[in-house]
Amino acid sequence: MPAGRSRTLKAQLAARRKALRSGNEGGGAPAMPGPPAKKKRRTVRRRRAAEGTGASTPPMTGTPMERLRGWFASKGWTPYAFQEEAWAAYARGDSGLIHVPTGAGKTYAAYIGPLADVAERGQKGLQVLYVTPLRAVSRDVEKALLEPLRMLDADIDVESRTGDTSSSVRQRQRERLPEVLITTPESLSVLLSNERAAELFASLRSVIVDEWHELLGSKRGTQMELALARLRRFAPEVRTWALSATLANLDEAARHVVGTGRVPTLVSADLERPVEVDTLLPDSVDSFPWSGHLGFTMLARVAAWLDPEQSTLVFTNTRSQAERWFEGLRFARPEWEHLIALHHGSIDREERERVEAGLKDGGLRIVVCTSSLDLGVDFGPVERVVQVGSPKGIGRTMQRAGRSAHRPGATCHILFVPTHALELVEMAAARDAILRREVEPRMPPGKPLDVLAQHLVTCAMGGGFTREALRDEVRTAAAYAGLTDEEFEWTLALVREGGPTLRAYPEFRRVVEHEGRFVIADARIGRLHRLNIGTITSNAVVQLRYWSGGKLGTIEEAYISRLRPGDTFIFAGKRLEFSRFKDMTAYVKPAKTKATQTPRWNGSRLPLSSSLANAVRRTLDSARHGDVTTDELAAAWPVLEAQERLSRIPSASSLLAETCETRDGHHLFLYPFEGRLVHEGLAALLALRLTRLQKATFSLSVNDYGLELLTPAPFPFEEALRPALFTRERLVEDVLESVNVSELAKRQFRDIARVAGLVLPGLPGARKSTRQVQASSSLLYDVFLKYDPDNLLLVQARREVLEQQFEQGRLGRTLERLEQSPVELVHVRRPTPLGFPLVVERISASVSNESLLERVERLKERWTREDARSA
Amino acid sequence: MDARRCQVRVGGTLLELLPERALHWPEAGVLAVADLHWGKTESFQQHGIPLPGGVLEDDLARLSAALSATGARRLLLLGDLIHSRQGLTPALVRRLAAWRESHASVELVLVRGNHDRHVKTLPPEWRLEVLESHADEGPFRFAHHPEPAPGRYVWAGHLHPMVRLSGGADRLRLPCFHVGRDVGVLPAFSAFTGGLNVSRRPGERVFAIAEPAVVEV
Repeated sequence: MPAGRSRTLKAQLAARRKALRSGNEGGGAPAMPGPPAKKKRRTVRRRRAAEGTGASTPPMTGTPMERLRGWFASKGWTPYAFQEEAWAAYARGDSGLIHVPTGAGKTYAAYIGPLADVAERGQKGLQVLYVTPLRAVSRDVEKALLEPLRMLDADIDVESRTGDTSSSVRQRQRERLPEVLITTPESLSVLLSNERAAELFASLRSVIVDEWHELLGSKRGTQMELALARLRRFAPEVRTWALSATLANLDEAARHVVGTGRVPTLVSADLERPVEVDTLLPDSVDSFPWSGHLGFTMLARVAAWLDPEQSTLVFTNTRSQAERWFEGLRFARPEWEHLIALHHGSIDREERERVEAGLKDGGLRIVVCTSSLDLGVDFGPVERVVQVGSPKGIGRTMQRAGRSAHRPGATCHILFVPTHALELVEMAAARDAILRREVEPRMPPGKPLDVLAQHLVTCAMGGGFTREALRDEVRTAAAYAGLTDEEFEWTLALVREGGPTLRAYPEFRRVVEHEGRFVIADARIGRLHRLNIGTITSNAVVQLRYWSGGKLGTIEEAYISRLRPGDTFIFAGKRLEFSRFKDMTAYVKPAKTKATQTPRWNGSRLPLSSSLANAVRRTLDSARHGDVTTDELAAAWPVLEAQERLSRIPSASSLLAETCETRDGHHLFLYPFEGRLVHEGLAALLALRLTRLQKATFSLSVNDYGLELLTPAPFPFEEALRPALFTRERLVEDVLESVNVSELAKRQFRDIARVAGLVLPGLPGARKSTRQVQASSSLLYDVFLKYDPDNLLLVQARREVLEQQFEQGRLGRTLERLEQSPVELVHVRRPTPLGFPLVVERISASVSNESLLERVERLKERWTREDARSA
Repeated sequence: MDARRCQVRVGGTLLELLPERALHWPEAGVLAVADLHWGKTESFQQHGIPLPGGVLEDDLARLSAALSATGARRLLLLGDLIHSRQGLTPALVRRLAAWRESHASVELVLVRGNHDRHVKTLPPEWRLEVLESHADEGPFRFAHHPEPAPGRYVWAGHLHPMVRLSGGADRLRLPCFHVGRDVGVLPAFSAFTGGLNVSRRPGERVFAIAEPAVVEV
């Protein structure tokens, strides 16, 4: 039994919950019958007919809208007020945002209006576009969108078009699109690169963008905005609607989906279910680690708590952690072998679909997963949700909790499992923040030029464009409303001439101007571009296969390159032995011995959100003042007490600083509790300002709680820690300078290089001809920095570092806070509970104003052979 | 001797490792470099990847500096001189011919590498002596691939060796000479190249290019 305390959140309008129906489909429907549609579109319609189930069919009379209402009634549903509202708004010709929790029926709120419209008009050609960020859910969406069709005596086709769509279907869709098309932002961009794009989309009536909160804060959202702007040009009457879960900035989210030319309509329903939070407390915090992220000390407790009678999702924060926990739980409870499964983004699609189906039909009872199961897929029967490790954000935790007890009005339940002592504090803080509903905003990126560059090439392929028309069009996307003429010209020059000076890029060709119209230079470059469309950046991945045949999934090339034949590792819960690497495929066989390692994926780790960081400061401050009333804080008290004894518990009104000497050198620890990204920028900035006082090399280390600066020689930290160190004067200049001397911009550039098409994707099966033009982005960065330092992509890398480290002003606000906070400086003899994790998890960034030769001379004594392993 | 260089003695013969990423054999008046990858930028540009030029000019200036500083009469190019066939544009061929003329008296010998095999005949105006697999001179064999040869010490390229240095959390990764018992590997000459980390086994030495000097680590 969980030792933690339960707290129930009361929804404000509980009365409106009573008839809350689950999701968008009836349970138990068989999988879609198989054969992929061939040339004849008849096949598709047969598939549609096969959807008809035993439900009693109301008479097919009246207007399409009346019939669809009849279909609602036949399901035993009464439309919610927000659904009526959404249908009416659509009928008026409005665009906007529908904001209701998952599973409340937002799909039909957005879809019924457009569907009635299509049936009414009786025209052919693409009229409704349904965009989902997850291609894995397109099949479920397809089923949901097909269902109401049986009430309409209309010739309407519903099809998907994603990265998984077969080439024969794609071929057919190149000629003609169905009336209703389900797609992803990336596949939509690929469609826009079709030479006949204008014609294909001319009849479009509406676009529905699902899970907009997931897209909004990333470049995928920006790409979607550009696509919407393009679609508005092709079909000026098109209505654009987004579906979103709770966000702090709903108005902004709505503005970005309708573009600058319209006023959005916001349709909301407060149907949030109450969230109950428990924390699984460790028996004794003395044996509980100060850092780390696996949390295996809690494994036995979790294994005892889990109950196959109650279907459960166990969320972890990384794929590697999911592998280990899956392995651990199977070891702890071998009798669950057939009831437990693993699900993460690198596992082969078929296996993932098997797991999803197992969850739905109840065959699988416990699934260890990552954010791969955050979205989409409606898991009717999931009863309980476990979160291993820091919850990271409030919105995300509420979404995960929402996966549980997916029944009308039922209370969501989530169990936190801490992996180290300080996460107990985070969990107490998270509960507090959930109570206060402090959901984070998702901030759209500001006019990223790499995404624009990619879009320009896409438009050049998709029938070409003229300068003024496209510039005006791009500015109707809210993200680019402030795009200057110079920025547009720069970006156009980037895809046309490579850079500002023709001389530096003599052989470059991508987009060419032909009588005022910009078109793609040639078909080969077009093909490369299509492979490159998208803004999801990831490290190069390779296929993982058995020698004997059979796909396992994908794995990062960087990881595989460190393995030697015979090495064993765990993947998808299987023990594997690495055999060889050939043609972008890693071949393995089942391992006879115990696997020794788990692959690591260098995916971006989520930082502590602003809301949670704020809540953590609040919670620690009350602990400092002796308020240890929550169970989590009581459990964490021995560690907090050690912190207080060796140093201090940080207060909310001052800045705790610790100095310490170890054999690594001289450490300065600071604890602003602002999340990892802000700390990264802050660490680089402070290191730069410190090197101005005395020549030095600083190694930087950051985590969600604080930062560490380490230098080999003694440094007068105490003198340096004055308010002037935190001044906001010359902030931008200093950040830019520190960014230039650190690795931050280089890392940011990796993603930009990929989106802007500087790095060709190492797709499995990519043609060998591209091998001659593979270079690491860090090498490209060095070349740009040296030979074209004003290149806008470098400027953008710096700006993104600024924006992201600032997190829209978060760094500035942090400095403002720190400048006014007294510094509480404590000299400690060894790293404290707060400092220890920083020592362990050191990142490889450094800021130095020593010469290369000086650093080499200092380092050469310590050259460790382990570091030079590989070769 | 220039303090920026490092000296090694291989079987009684004195050699210098230059910070210009070149190997100098003073006694024979020979300079050796590997992996120049001429035309790499142009290859990228032709694939629609906007990459600024400039690497080549810097590389050539460095090569000229090494030639004039050592007064070498023979320049051995240990493979991967050309990055790809597409990159060998007329402008590039002309530029390199002009550079060749500025060192008209130096003998140029190319030992073909894997990249060079895509180009059947090299521009005659470059006046290169082309060898298919290796050049045996004195006690040495100069080749592209670092494979041991009985009775000779091999100098080769191909690997683009890099060395990682770390102390505390300060880390550096630098191109290097990797001098083994039977084979010595030169750093890639072109600045626009990635590389492979090398380890140092007993009896091996590693010299990092820490501009402006070569430093044994």
